[in-house]
Amino acid sequence: MKLELIGKPEGCKLLRATIDIDAAPRPDARIQAISIRGDFFAIPEEEFDALERALAGTELKDLGREFSARARERGLQCAGISGEGLDELVRHALTTTPQERN
Amino acid sequence: MSHPFRLLETGFNPAAFNMGLDEALLRAVAEGKSLPTLRFYGWNPPAVSVGYFQGLREEIDVGACALDGVDIVRRITGGGAVFHHHEVTYSIVVPLAHPLARENILESYRLLLSGITEGLADLGIQSEFSPINDISAGGKKISGNAQTRKLGCILQHGTILLDVEVDRMFGLLKVPQEKAKGKLIADIKSRVTSVKHLLPKAGAESLESLFSTTVSALERGFARALDLEYARSDPSPEEHEAAGALAAEKFSSRSWTELR
Repeated sequence: MKLELIGKPEGCKLLRATIDIDAAPRPDARIQAISIRGDFFAIPEEEFDALERALAGTELKDLGREFSARARERGLQCAGISGEGLDELVRHALTTTPQERN
Repeated sequence: MSHPFRLLETGFNPAAFNMGLDEALLRAVAEGKSLPTLRFYGWNPPAVSVGYFQGLREEIDVGACALDGVDIVRRITGGGAVFHHHEVTYSIVVPLAHPLARENILESYRLLLSGITEGLADLGIQSEFSPINDISAGGKKISGNAQTRKLGCILQHGTILLDVEVDRMFGLLKVPQEKAKGKLIADIKSRVTSVKHLLPKAGAESLESLFSTTVSALERGFARALDLEYARSDPSPEEHEAAGALAAEKFSSRSWTELR
């Protein structure tokens, strides 16, 4: 299944994410692939591409924590995006319908 | 002690060449072949650039750009989509080991953008750093900026608005909710300003003249704020050649432009 997230969480720029998951949208669905887009900064940029790939296998409920941990591991300096911000988008997506999100 | 710096004014060029030259300068400075560099430039034809992490077709109306003769290019820096027309664009390249480099991104923006606030003050415009990456004057955005670090160097580039073309810009950029477009345009108009709007005497000046006046003020501003001693030159033949190759092979390529 595919989950489309969009929003401007607290402290973040406008974030968009497309997440392929292995089940219906629920906290323990596993991420198969994720693409995060927006006008944020993450330096070095190429490490962010690798971070996205490394998030495969993560459960939706752990996305923010894993994002932050992997970003730290890779020495990424982020501005306008955070694990907390991604968690906020996931929570919103899991508690609203696609129509409500648009 | 002042910092030796190279000063380039490279005129108006297509988007792919402009981004190619910024990357070529980064490489040349990283390899120690060129001094730390400050470059001023413009865009011909007008262009839209998207940030490295943005989805091209989510942000840009590609068809409208083609119809309007507007180039599209993806930057190597993050940040948002920008319509480049009536503005001064600059880039600055500094090795990470240079005294003007700061490890923290916000601190780095704060320091390097002091060159712009000082340059705007030279024109008679009071402005201030507006984190993360903007400069505002009278509470309205007048400059947007983006920074990356590669090959042991900081590359920061950004724009200083000479005039605002919100209606044209909104014809080129995608708006998430079409119904709210009118409100969004009004909102942006109330939050963005330009050199022309802030300087009454600039109203009578042509935009070409205002471009030159603003570049000169920014040159003085960067020199004062960052204590730079300029060596004015052109890009080296190697940089020019590298810029052309990067323009053709990277910045004009579909795989790069449609990366996300």
